[in-house]
Amino acid sequence: MIDAALAAVGGAAGAFSRFAHLGSGTSLPGRLVNRIDPGFLARRAASLDQGAVIVSGTNGKTTTASMLRSILQAQGLAVAANTSGANLPGGVVSAFLGARQGADVGVLEVDEGVLPSVVAEVLPRLLVLTNVFRDQLDRFPEPEGVAARLRIAAERLPADSILVANADDPLLWASLEDLGPVGFSVLAPPDGGATPRGRGGAGAPAIAADAEPESCLRCGTGLVFTRRTMAGLGSAHCEGCGWTSTIGRYVARLVSRAGLEASVLELCEELLTLPLGGIHNAYNAVAAVAVAAELGIAPHRATSALEMFHPRFGRAEELLFDDRQLWLALIKNPAGAGTVIRDVCTDRRVGAVVVAISDNDADGRDVSWIWDADFERLVQLEAPIVAGGTRAAETAVRLKYAGRIPDVVETDPLAAVRAAIISCPPDGVIAILATYTAMLDVREALVGDRSTRVEDDIA
Amino acid sequence: MGADLVIVHLYPDLLRTYGDRGNVLALQRRAEWRGFRVDVVAVSRGERVPRGAGVVLLGGGTDRVQEALGPDLRDRGPELAEAVGEGTVVLGVCGGYQFLGNLYVSADGVSTEGLGLIEAETRAGKGRLVGRVGATAELWGNRFDLVGFENHGGRTTLGPGARPLARVRMGGGNNGLDGSEGAVRGSVVGTYLHGPVFPLNPQFADGILKRALSPVTGGDDLQSLDDGPEERAHEHARTLHR
Ligand SMILES: [Zn+2]
Repeated sequence: MIDAALAAVGGAAGAFSRFAHLGSGTSLPGRLVNRIDPGFLARRAASLDQGAVIVSGTNGKTTTASMLRSILQAQGLAVAANTSGANLPGGVVSAFLGARQGADVGVLEVDEGVLPSVVAEVLPRLLVLTNVFRDQLDRFPEPEGVAARLRIAAERLPADSILVANADDPLLWASLEDLGPVGFSVLAPPDGGATPRGRGGAGAPAIAADAEPESCLRCGTGLVFTRRTMAGLGSAHCEGCGWTSTIGRYVARLVSRAGLEASVLELCEELLTLPLGGIHNAYNAVAAVAVAAELGIAPHRATSALEMFHPRFGRAEELLFDDRQLWLALIKNPAGAGTVIRDVCTDRRVGAVVVAISDNDADGRDVSWIWDADFERLVQLEAPIVAGGTRAAETAVRLKYAGRIPDVVETDPLAAVRAAIISCPPDGVIAILATYTAMLDVREALVGDRSTRVEDDIA
Repeated sequence: MGADLVIVHLYPDLLRTYGDRGNVLALQRRAEWRGFRVDVVAVSRGERVPRGAGVVLLGGGTDRVQEALGPDLRDRGPELAEAVGEGTVVLGVCGGYQFLGNLYVSADGVSTEGLGLIEAETRAGKGRLVGRVGATAELWGNRFDLVGFENHGGRTTLGPGARPLARVRMGGGNNGLDGSEGAVRGSVVGTYLHGPVFPLNPQFADGILKRALSPVTGGDDLQSLDDGPEERAHEHARTLHR
């Protein structure tokens, strides 16, 4: 009864929040309920028959959680989930406000910063950690600090809980391997897009564009990568102390890729055509299948659910505007931007590109990361480029030093998209690469809807 | 067929947290656009800085990486001092700037000796100085406006042998107290500003380039470039608040 009353309070607050354009309307009600009844989250989590799964890490939280939800629902389970990417405590509580009382299982996406306290409240049956990339430097100055927080959270798991983690992420894996995690990995062909790390010579930048500073967590010596799937991920060893990474128990092998639209994976001996491009989505898929398997769902059942997967909230979204096809992707750090750029450059339908960089609090106010993202590759695409976002002028400078002055520089989102449409061949797709709030601004300008359909609600 | 300018990126694999690569790229391109031949050389632990380098750049890193670099940096002091003696411009940004000083004292009181190229000491302070910075700089007789972003826990105090690079009108600068930002001593320059700093402040980049190229140009002014995009980005950054 009390929970029903709280849900009513929450619902009204959500409607107000949406009306007032404050955000996605999913965090405010949860924050209110959290204040009225601090025990709400723990109580509702404890009432789930099959327990809760928590998903955290820098990149891929929303997509991994969303894939997992699809897999669980395909097994006939009722899932309570914060599907809109509202991943601070308020949004997590809202997951239960929106769910029916009778949910079987919870899938909660939780921000790295608040993970230890949420784990302590929810006491999940399983915690899955996607990766640790440099992101939002003004909020998390050190990736090692994020890895340490994730470890603290893992230490707070109940004794019979399962920990699943990305075995291809040396920083993450080294920070918690002694806790006995179940690992997952992705194997890609050598030309699978790993950015070469040259020594640099005349005319070449001295280092790979989108890799992180890579050093051994134990002794600080630089790590040597023997296999690399994308920035910072792969197999590595340390020549200083002998630390070596491992291949996870669950492995996705990339069989072929098809630009923005799809990739074919061999996953736990099942062939899966994933309706999403990009190697980062191979990681999200293997993470979701690994979690499902650890929960007792056979891999073939999980992969057949993923064949139908439709990213409602992901890094990429297709929109129609003025009868033109737009492809909207979130970029927020060098690693994620690198994979998106790679996808854009391998998709022959792309006829124009908008790069929209904003620097509001939710984007990270420090935009220096754009200089480590692989725009050198993007400007080789023979398509017009528009620089947008609140930092359009700085984005234009970045593109200039990458090798091409953008055709148009425009802070207004609607004008930026229209400029791209005008310059795009009639049958071409317009790819829009945007930071978090830049993407909300574009959505509002095009479809009058500021709802969150991308990762990370940093309300 | 030697290069006109050798740019050394010191520890590019470890000190590169805040887009430091953008500083290397800006110097490289701005020299190339003027017809100079440029070599960018990555120098990491155990490797030597080549003789005759025009610029040596040190970026910022995480505390852990900076600690791990300690032993290698100690060995590098004499080599860099010799390079500076021969006219090489050494530029440190953020963590790299702190390394250029005499001493760094961490939050738990551990002292680490720096390279001693600038008379400066850095102590860990309470909280980090994070946000946009606007400042007026004076470098080797040229005055110019400076914009960027700072994010540092250390507070730096300059000794009488070092001069600040700039005075802040917005932001914390060296220590959040005396209004100074960065430091200059001869051809050694340090700053807390990243963003990265050179692409947004082409006058700063060209000041460094002019000095680094002087063995080739005899110290002549550099040909001017079409800096429209850079100037618009600089002007826009000036309108932003902390
Ligand atoms: Zn090691």
